[in-house]
Amino acid sequence: MRGFRLCAVLVLGPLLLPAQDLKEFEKKVTEFTLGNGLHFIVAERHEAPVVSFHTYVNAGSVDDPSGATGLAHMFEHMAFKGTETIGTKDWPAEKKALDEIEEAYDRVDAERNKGPKADSSRIRALELQLKTAIDRAQGYVEPNEYTRIIEENGGAGLNAGTGLDSTEYFYSLPSNRIELWFLLESQRFLHPVFREFYKERDVVMEEYRMRVESSPQGRLMQDLLSTAFAAHPYHNPPGGWPSDIASLRRSEAKQFFDEYYVPANMAIGIVGDVHPADARRMAERYFGPLRARPLPPLLHTKEPPQPGPKTADVISPSQPIAVAGYKRPDQYDKDDAVFDVLQLILSGGRTGLMYRELVQGQRIALAAQAVATYPGGRYPNLFLFFVVPAMGHTVEENEKALGDLLVEFESHPVDAVALARARTKARAGVIRQLANNSGLASLLTSYYMSYGDWRKLFTSIDDLNKVTAADVQRVAQQYFVATNRTFAYTAAPAAGGGRQ
Amino acid sequence: MKHRSALLLLALTPLLAQGPASPSRPAPPPSYKDLKYPPLGSIQIPDVARFTLPNGMKLYLLEDHELPVVNGTALVRTGNLFDPGDRVGLAGLTGTVMRSGGTRSKTGEQLDEQLENIAASVESGIGESSGSVSFSALKENTAEVLAIFKDILTGPEFRQDKLDLAKSQVRSGISRRNDNAESIVEREFTDIVYGKDTPYGWPEEYATIDRINRGDLRSFYQRYFFPANVMLGIRGDFDTAAMKAAIEKLFSDWTGAQPPVPEFPKVGPAPNGGTYLAVKKDVTQTFFAIGQRGGQLNDKDYPALAIMADILGGGFQSRLLQRVRTQMGNAYHIGAEWDARYDHPGLFEISGGTKSVSTVETIKAIREEVDRIRTTEVTEAELRTAKDTVLNSLVFAFDTKAKTLGRILTYEYYGYPKDFLQQYQKGLAAVTRADVLRVAREHIDPARFTLVTVGNPQDFGQPLDTLGSPVTSIDLTIASGNPAGMERGKQP
Repeated sequence: MRGFRLCAVLVLGPLLLPAQDLKEFEKKVTEFTLGNGLHFIVAERHEAPVVSFHTYVNAGSVDDPSGATGLAHMFEHMAFKGTETIGTKDWPAEKKALDEIEEAYDRVDAERNKGPKADSSRIRALELQLKTAIDRAQGYVEPNEYTRIIEENGGAGLNAGTGLDSTEYFYSLPSNRIELWFLLESQRFLHPVFREFYKERDVVMEEYRMRVESSPQGRLMQDLLSTAFAAHPYHNPPGGWPSDIASLRRSEAKQFFDEYYVPANMAIGIVGDVHPADARRMAERYFGPLRARPLPPLLHTKEPPQPGPKTADVISPSQPIAVAGYKRPDQYDKDDAVFDVLQLILSGGRTGLMYRELVQGQRIALAAQAVATYPGGRYPNLFLFFVVPAMGHTVEENEKALGDLLVEFESHPVDAVALARARTKARAGVIRQLANNSGLASLLTSYYMSYGDWRKLFTSIDDLNKVTAADVQRVAQQYFVATNRTFAYTAAPAAGGGRQ
Repeated sequence: MKHRSALLLLALTPLLAQGPASPSRPAPPPSYKDLKYPPLGSIQIPDVARFTLPNGMKLYLLEDHELPVVNGTALVRTGNLFDPGDRVGLAGLTGTVMRSGGTRSKTGEQLDEQLENIAASVESGIGESSGSVSFSALKENTAEVLAIFKDILTGPEFRQDKLDLAKSQVRSGISRRNDNAESIVEREFTDIVYGKDTPYGWPEEYATIDRINRGDLRSFYQRYFFPANVMLGIRGDFDTAAMKAAIEKLFSDWTGAQPPVPEFPKVGPAPNGGTYLAVKKDVTQTFFAIGQRGGQLNDKDYPALAIMADILGGGFQSRLLQRVRTQMGNAYHIGAEWDARYDHPGLFEISGGTKSVSTVETIKAIREEVDRIRTTEVTEAELRTAKDTVLNSLVFAFDTKAKTLGRILTYEYYGYPKDFLQQYQKGLAAVTRADVLRVAREHIDPARFTLVTVGNPQDFGQPLDTLGSPVTSIDLTIASGNPAGMERGKQP
């Protein structure tokens, strides 16, 4: 749920020390773009000898080709598998073995493509050859060398994530090892090798089983999205559909990488004990060789207007959970800040209206939460209301109470105290994030890639401060309507073997 | 290894030639093995000012002027290990309702509004072996927030309506405790290995919650919340002398005393181990935990055990990840941890998830790796990687003032030396391959491992008992409470 972009006020006079306003913060920040288009944002914080790195790629699961969902995520896993020099015992021999896997796989696919005329015993024989080829290539692998290097050099918080809108890679190092990050990060995008692709595909399937198939909430959210979006790829789970994952090919991952991992489509944030001149020198040296390539095509699919309210029920023996999603415009819309204010008023802390009404007042919910932007912000998306019914209370009760709450909320302008509270909390939220290297590296790159300027992290607070009580009422009335709504919930299987 | 890096560089040259035809191409990058690192800037561990106030409360102050905020935590020696056996959940409820139930002068809701209007927070909670009340304030609101913090710490009202809410929340939590397979495994493994009839392993049930009333909360609070039992740490944008004076004045009227809090109960004897299965039909993975009792952080063998666990299942380079995840492709999550605790033995736990059909083969592979680390020395390369991983990342233990203060308070709370981490660092550097083998043999006993699995046995491929021991099934049925309990529990 990283869609909600908390906005900052660093310009409201007395609240902040002079050293912390935007102008002062700007002094700590250096930006530069390499000739190939790759952009760097460097922020100095010399409080401790550590540095955080964040690579933001403007490509995510929405860019997965049809029939190959999960590809962006699969590449993310591949990016930890090393390069032509890291992770191999003998690259030329390994490369040959990897190519032989693809040839063997082509033969399997060629037979399978015959459809009903395919010879199943021949498929089995070819699959055996494929397995042999995979095992042979495995012999050249120096397992997990890439991640081992990072870990033994003290890497902290090593991970990556694939969302609908973006793919992000991040970790922190002791600051005397900055050059190691430049070397490793540049090499994985200069010389990716996609080794162990088919083993890793199995790991990704296990990840899907864990996060989606074996999790009631995972299944609910997947069904919410696939129901709410008919045409737009927000329809797909970020990790892809299992049958697509199971047939992803190494060649497709390579193609995806070539098309989307274009220097101008990426940004890098470096925050901590770093000197910008050093960073720039190393950036030129290590990332300079990345070839400039044209930007990937924009996504043209637009979600058509929703014909009416939609419902998804997910059969699950678990205790019920429910979520209502209302279609809302993308993060570039003039009302974007209004949705952020709505989230803060409806579900921030202990004073949020949903908590007050459903949890504390009526006691029909164990938890209740609003999320302004889901599953991503780059395209029109959903404003969510998430409810966990309390023991002995039903989804229907909560659905009705939430509906009543919204009717009441929309019937008059929000009170001035609640509006002021939302602004203050948003502002303080950003101040509290400024002392966190990795969080800051993530924010700077994500604002830069989403809006073209990291300063939006600070200036968007102006938008938030301009939101009036009338705006809040107008937007709630306009968007929280039945024809924008998808309601998804889990329900126990009916006695006697489930629903017909 | 050394030879290979030179060969790889040679091999790289022709490949680069196919690269971009840039007129001023920079020199090819070095191998990571050839990078030279300057010495790491020293970690400045700031001095924390310590005071004991006239009422016996201990105060720790650390200035941090980077941002205009002030944060503090009062650590209180208490814990749910002191729950009475028929009222499991009492400590947790006390911790929750301290804050939500308001103070003498203000209801919980009034505090919510007052605090959130200034983007501040005060929160309270009681865990296994400590309780805390913490606050966070923007600098300009420090005095206002400190006053609320003090009222909650010293005079909570435990209003009945918020106790009722908290109890119904805990009951809802109990009703949902079997919804997530991973948390079932965690809970059952912990409870079985510590013993379900001991404070370390007994679960909250409807019945134990239903018995708890407002008088119980008040008594529990009174027994443990007194000045000499509190360590207050504050960090942020303030002047130490002024803050000390303010705190001393603020808490000058809090003077109650109680007998010293007794030691926490000791853990009982370790169980004999066994194989357990909880059936859950709506999952496609089997979630599992395998292991036994672990040890304490101050055991002399702790550094060697930490290295052993790291080589076995710590990071991407570990044996279990390489085998079960990378080579077999059988898991996304798989790992091992020697989870040592400050004041009682923790757990040695190998946990993960695999598709139902590969359950038995995955557990067999894990057992083979456990046997291997107990029978053969680890390699020099593995030992070096494990040491480097920990030693090079120690800087992150002190990279913020928040972590520094938290660490100092925790060490003092559990009676550990201030330089415990530095001692650990030394111990770690001295660990040898023989040490790793010795501690694996002495401390790990696979014959007494507890294995807990949660999943769909009809899809296991091979039945679980092919692993060699009988399978005990775990009954996940939640005992129903006495519906009259809540009424009866009310105080007149």
